[in-house]
Amino acid sequence: MAYLVLARKWRPQNFSDLIGQEHVSQTLANAIKSGRIHHAFLFTGARGVGKTSAARILAKALNCEVGLSDQPCGTCTSCLEITAGQGLDVLEIDGASNTGVDDVRELRENIRYLPNRSRYKIFIIDEVHMLSTNAFNALLKTLEEPPEHAKFIFATTEPHKIPVTILSRCQRFDFRKIPLVKVAARLRELADLEKLTVSDRSLALIARQGEGSMRDALSTFDQVLAFSGDQVEDDAVQTLLGMVDRRLLLDTVEAVLQRDCRRALDAVRRVDQLGLALRRFTQDLLEMFRGMVICTVVETPEEMLDLVGEELKELQLLAEDSSLEDLQRIVTLLLKTQTELATSASPMLTLEMSLVRLATLAPSQELGKLISHLESLEKRLATNPLPRSQGTPPRSVPEEPSPKKSEAPVITTTDERGWQGLVDQVKEKRPMLGSVLEHGRLLKLEPPLLEVGYPKNSFMLGQLQEPDICRDLEALAASYFGASVKLRVVPMEAEQKDAPPSLVETRQAKETDRMRRLREDALEHPALKSVQEIFDGKIKQVIPIDKGFV
Amino acid sequence: MTFDKILGHDRQKDILRRALANGRLAHAYLFAGPDGIGKRMLAIELARAIVCHEQRGCGNCPACRKIDNQNHPDLHTLEPDGTSIKIEKVRAFQRELNLKPLEAPRKICLIDHAEMMTTGASNALLKTLEEPRGDTLLILLTDQPNRLLDTIRSRCQILPFTRHPNSRIQAELEKRLELNPTEAHVLAALSDGSFKKAFGKDRELYLEQRKTLLKTLTGLSTGSILQMLEFAEQISADKAILPDILEIFQAFYRDVLTTLHGRDTDELVNLDLKEKIFRVASKESIPGILTKLEALMTAQRQLDRNVNRQLAMEVMLLDLTA
Repeated sequence: MAYLVLARKWRPQNFSDLIGQEHVSQTLANAIKSGRIHHAFLFTGARGVGKTSAARILAKALNCEVGLSDQPCGTCTSCLEITAGQGLDVLEIDGASNTGVDDVRELRENIRYLPNRSRYKIFIIDEVHMLSTNAFNALLKTLEEPPEHAKFIFATTEPHKIPVTILSRCQRFDFRKIPLVKVAARLRELADLEKLTVSDRSLALIARQGEGSMRDALSTFDQVLAFSGDQVEDDAVQTLLGMVDRRLLLDTVEAVLQRDCRRALDAVRRVDQLGLALRRFTQDLLEMFRGMVICTVVETPEEMLDLVGEELKELQLLAEDSSLEDLQRIVTLLLKTQTELATSASPMLTLEMSLVRLATLAPSQELGKLISHLESLEKRLATNPLPRSQGTPPRSVPEEPSPKKSEAPVITTTDERGWQGLVDQVKEKRPMLGSVLEHGRLLKLEPPLLEVGYPKNSFMLGQLQEPDICRDLEALAASYFGASVKLRVVPMEAEQKDAPPSLVETRQAKETDRMRRLREDALEHPALKSVQEIFDGKIKQVIPIDKGFV
Repeated sequence: MTFDKILGHDRQKDILRRALANGRLAHAYLFAGPDGIGKRMLAIELARAIVCHEQRGCGNCPACRKIDNQNHPDLHTLEPDGTSIKIEKVRAFQRELNLKPLEAPRKICLIDHAEMMTTGASNALLKTLEEPRGDTLLILLTDQPNRLLDTIRSRCQILPFTRHPNSRIQAELEKRLELNPTEAHVLAALSDGSFKKAFGKDRELYLEQRKTLLKTLTGLSTGSILQMLEFAEQISADKAILPDILEIFQAFYRDVLTTLHGRDTDELVNLDLKEKIFRVASKESIPGILTKLEALMTAQRQLDRNVNRQLAMEVMLLDLTA
């Protein structure tokens, strides 16, 4: 018999062996104990976390000859047969190879017959996400109400590919990724069982390689064992896993932070010479910078980094000299490089370019600092104005220029307010009428008399002379002023100069006036002047920030 | 010793050798690494070592000869049909795998370009890959391990391969093709660690045409639009060698970049064009070179996506001469 890899040799044989999936095993065990066993289960989760194993254990528990229990005996014929994968009543179907509707029909043929000798006929369909739509649909009726002796167990890594109608007929169990510590503990257990000498550090490295998948970790462990036999040395593990030497990494990080392109390029060359994978190197580099980011933002980084002692201190030391913004930019760029490396035709060049770019990044300035710097500059200028800006009062922002009365057309304040208010009110209730009023020139507002002028022959004059509209307007004005109002519409000559301007005209005049003043103010502003001086800049455009601002 | 015929890859050979010796050969391996560096050769060698009557891949016994002549009944290969490996082929393959080996102790299955398997094909292989018959060895070969399903990768022992160092290829080139050291150096550097490329048919392009190409490229200036358009037409004429031409340009600008950083000249690719490199380097800044390299990479990406070649080249040359 050929060598059996660890993942197969030590496949969990009962619920307690199933590492990291306590929530599943407990639920299943309790269901069995209380006799409330659903007829269809769906196991989902990432690769290598125990779905197929759980399915087989469940099958054993259901069919164990000793009796229905959460602790399958593992010694009866049924249990042995299932372990060997040749049980008559447990059919393990490869969903990805038997995808068609015909395969499902065959299964339905089969399901009618009673189990040969066990309690249940169990159908385990692995990789069930590959079944065709028709196959799934052909299964629906059977899955909803299967014969009493039938149980279904589905396992898949991609639950989103399964139709909702199937999902709703199954009891779904989501398998979690297995935490590093538990993987390492299990590896230790197996190492002891296999009588292997291996250090905890190596086991931790191997466990990390698995990224939450027990099978991946065990595959790696197998490879390590194949390489070094029963005595595993730390160095061998490190080279075998293609781990990049920490010194080399630190050197690269330093080169980048000190903006030393030469050293950075040298590092890439060394990595290449050592025959390490560039992607791996980038990944490790990224880890380092991530560590540094964490060191800067978290008080106690030990918990998040699983680093201790020297390694942590080195990182903290490096992180001290660099700003968070810089680190974040580096991480972003490296992430981009990493995806580029996967498709790049010349990965070495890609990495070189990215390191050069990192090392030549202009140091970033924190925005907050810049602003506070500007503010302090302004304050200094305010208390101690520059000689040539003495004419204008120093202001912190281009503040509202107070409307200069002399330029504005003369209307007495009360009148203006009253008129403006009235127009606003009318506009709210009768927008058309309001805009007509806006174009009119207020000649007299002495309640109860309201005189509005319009150019002769204008359309608006015609409109306001309609008795209906006139009446409406009078009513509105009366409600606004709280007294009855008599409206008089006066036709005017176009060139009549002495009449006050209409609201629209006033606004337009104000607008252009405002722009002019805004520009003047902005140009005279001391902060702007000093900025111009420091950066040797030119003013291209003055844009009002917001209409209501001035 | 086993695997002696294969150059380099000492670590990988060592791993397999020890696995053979310890009797810990897994049932599924994934050889991942660039094209043309000897993955397939090593896989065949491994097969020989297993079927060989003397257990070492002697090359003389009938079993080894059968492997060499590709007619061993227990060595099965699965290769892409055109651009993909389809599910029907995988199924046929699986039926084959259910049978016992005929003469060898194990049935050996090679899947070349495993990344070309369609999703259906990959999934159909999963169960077999996890628990094949006891006497089966599956070897998957790929140059893009990231394109394989997670679930496939997790079921195999991954053996990563790296490209050959240039010095090794250079030495081989000098020995086998009797090139002079400079030529061998250039060719080795441009082949990017792949023997397939180094000994391929493009030698003339890499050695002779390269000089004229680079001369024209560096001769272009911002004003010479017409020449530039002509050059773009010229290089985009042959679809097959265009990627190689871009690689030549890339290598050249990389040389300029390293020169700007004051690295040793023996790291250069174009050793025979040192003067030109220095001349260009004296006129260029680091950000400028980075932009040019970026433009080249963009052009490469675009070519992968079936763009109008000439247009892409024109845009690229505009960037390069800017």
